[in-house]
Amino acid sequence: MPVYERGYRHWEHSGHRARAPWWAIARRGIAEPLKSRRLLFLLAVAWVPAIVKGGILYFTFQMGELSRLIGGKWTDIGPRGFLTYLGWQSPFVLILLAIVGSGLISRDRRENGLALYLSRPLGVRDYVLGKGAVVMFYYFAVTLLPVWALCLFGYLVTSGATGLQMLLLIPLQALAYCLVTGAGFTLVLLALSSVGQRTVFVALWWVLLYAGTDGLAKIMSLFSPALEILNFPGQFLNAGIVFFGGEPLCEVPPAASLLVVVAYALLGAWVLRRRIKPVEVVA
Amino acid sequence: MQATTIAVKPVAAAIAVQDLTFAYAATPVLQGVSFSLEKRAVGLLGPNGSGKTTLLRALLGHLPLKRGAVSVMGCDMAHDARGARRRLGWMPERGGILPGMSGVAMVAYLGELGGMPPTDALQRAHEVLNYVGLADERYREADTYSQGMRQRLKLAQALVHDPDWLLLDEPTSGLDPRGRVSMLELMRDLAANKGFGIILSTHLLADVREVCQEILVLRQGRLLSHGRVEVAPPGATAQFLVEGFGDEPVFLAALEAAGLTATRRERLLEITAPADAGARLVLAAASASGFALRRLQPRRETLEDLFYQLVDDAGDARSKD
Repeated sequence: MPVYERGYRHWEHSGHRARAPWWAIARRGIAEPLKSRRLLFLLAVAWVPAIVKGGILYFTFQMGELSRLIGGKWTDIGPRGFLTYLGWQSPFVLILLAIVGSGLISRDRRENGLALYLSRPLGVRDYVLGKGAVVMFYYFAVTLLPVWALCLFGYLVTSGATGLQMLLLIPLQALAYCLVTGAGFTLVLLALSSVGQRTVFVALWWVLLYAGTDGLAKIMSLFSPALEILNFPGQFLNAGIVFFGGEPLCEVPPAASLLVVVAYALLGAWVLRRRIKPVEVVA
Repeated sequence: MQATTIAVKPVAAAIAVQDLTFAYAATPVLQGVSFSLEKRAVGLLGPNGSGKTTLLRALLGHLPLKRGAVSVMGCDMAHDARGARRRLGWMPERGGILPGMSGVAMVAYLGELGGMPPTDALQRAHEVLNYVGLADERYREADTYSQGMRQRLKLAQALVHDPDWLLLDEPTSGLDPRGRVSMLELMRDLAANKGFGIILSTHLLADVREVCQEILVLRQGRLLSHGRVEVAPPGATAQFLVEGFGDEPVFLAALEAAGLTATRRERLLEITAPADAGARLVLAAASASGFALRRLQPRRETLEDLFYQLVDDAGDARSKD
C-alpha cells in the first residue's frame, strides 16, 4: 500500500499520566522473564524451603520445647533462625539472578539499545534504577517475600503472646537486611552486565564470583580463618548478623562484612558510572 | 471583498549549533561546526568518518561538550537535553532493536520511555507500524525481522512519540532497491506532508536529492557547505558551454580579465564562472570583445558534482597546508 494511502495522525494526548521512565523499564524487565515456564518453576522451587520453614514454625508453636529437642537449631524461630533460612536461599539467589540479571545491560549494549534508551527523555540514573529494580524484585521474591509470608503465617498459627513477640521485629530486620544486601548484589551484577556484551559470559562471571569465591574462601580459610573475607556470598550473609543479631557466621566481624558489602556496592556503582554512557569514547 | 491580513511571525532557528568542537580522546571529530536550521528536511552529507553520526549525537545531547553550544528548539543541550529529546526522534544506523520483543511491544515500550502514557503508547505503536508498513508483522519478534523491516521498525520507534524532528542515521543502509524506494517515500511524505523536520545523515547523494531541501556537507569534522539543494551552495561555481564566431584570443582575454577560466573542449569552450553571476559575466566579456555567441549553455551541475567538488577542494586545501 502506498504511503499516501496509509496516512499518519499526530499524537493527541489522552490526558492519562505517563509513568516515570525507571518504572516503565522495571515493569518491562520484571514481566519479560515471567513468560518463561522454567523461571516460574525455579521461583516455585525457591519457595520450598519457605514451606519447610513454615512447617517448622507450626510445629514449634504447637509443640513448644519438644520441637527444639527433636530438631535442634533447625527449629530456631528467632531472628537467627530466619537468617539461617536466608542462607538456604543462597543457591536460588545465585541461579535466579544469573538468569534475570546477566542480560539486563549486556543485551542493550550488544544491540546498541543503550543509546536508544538515552535518546529518550531519561537519564542514566533512570536507566540504572529501572534495571536495578528488576534484580531487586527477583531477589526479594526469594528472600524478603518468603520471610514476610512466614511471619504472617507465624502470627496466624501462634497461640500466645510469646510467639508474636518473637516474630514482631523480624519483618523489619529482614527488610533492612534485604535492602542492603539486595542493593549490593544488584550493583555488582549490573556492573558485570555492563562490562560484557554476551549474556552467557556475564552469567559465568557472576557464578564464578558467587560460587567460586565461596569454594575458594572455604579452602583458604583452612590456612587463615580471616581469609573467609574473600567469600562473596558469605560476607553478605555474615553482614546479616548486624541486622538479626547472634554469633558471627565466620571469623570476620559482622561489621567488617557489612563494610565489604558496602564496598562491593560502591565498586559496582563506580563501574556503572563509567560504563553507562550513550557514546563510548575509546582512547 | 474584504482583505485579510496575515501576521507572519519571524521564525527562530529550530536547531542552532555554534562552534561545535568534539574529539574522541585525542582524535578531533568535529571542528568549529556552526549552522542553524529551520524545520525542514536537511541532508547531512559527508564521506564515511566525516563526523555525521557524531553531529547527530551532539544534537541528541549525548556528547559532553567542552567547546561550542547546541540548541534544539530553544533547549540548550548542555543543560536541558531531556526537554529537547521529547521532541526528537532518533533512528540509529547500527543496532537499535531491543531483543526479545515483538515489533509492537518494542515501539510501545519506547513510546512510554518517550514520555507517553502506556495506553497512548500502545495505540500509537499500532498506528505508526501501520504507517511504516509493518502492520502485518507487528506481533512478530523483532529479532526475526529482515533488514528492510528492521529499518522500518527503527523509523516507527523514532516516530511513536510524535516528535518535531527526526534524526535519521543512514536510514537506507543495507536496503534492497525496493526497500530503499519505500523508505525514501516515507521520509519524503513525513517531511513534505506531515510537517516533520528531518536531518538525514547519509553518504548517498541520491537519497538527499529525493528527500531534502537543504544540505550540510561535512568533511573531516568541518562543515564545508550549507545551502539549499536546488541552489548551488555559496562559493560554488557553474560551468557554461560556449560556441561562437569572432576573435577568440580577444574573447579569452576578456574572460580572463573578468576572472573566468575557459577550457577548450573540441569545438566548444567550457567556461567556469561563479554560480550566481556566471552568464552575465560571459555575455559581458563577449560583448566587450565583439565575440558573437552562437551558443551559451549552462552545464547543469548535479548535486554529485557539487559534493565531490567541495570535498575534493577541501582535501586539496588540507594537503597544501
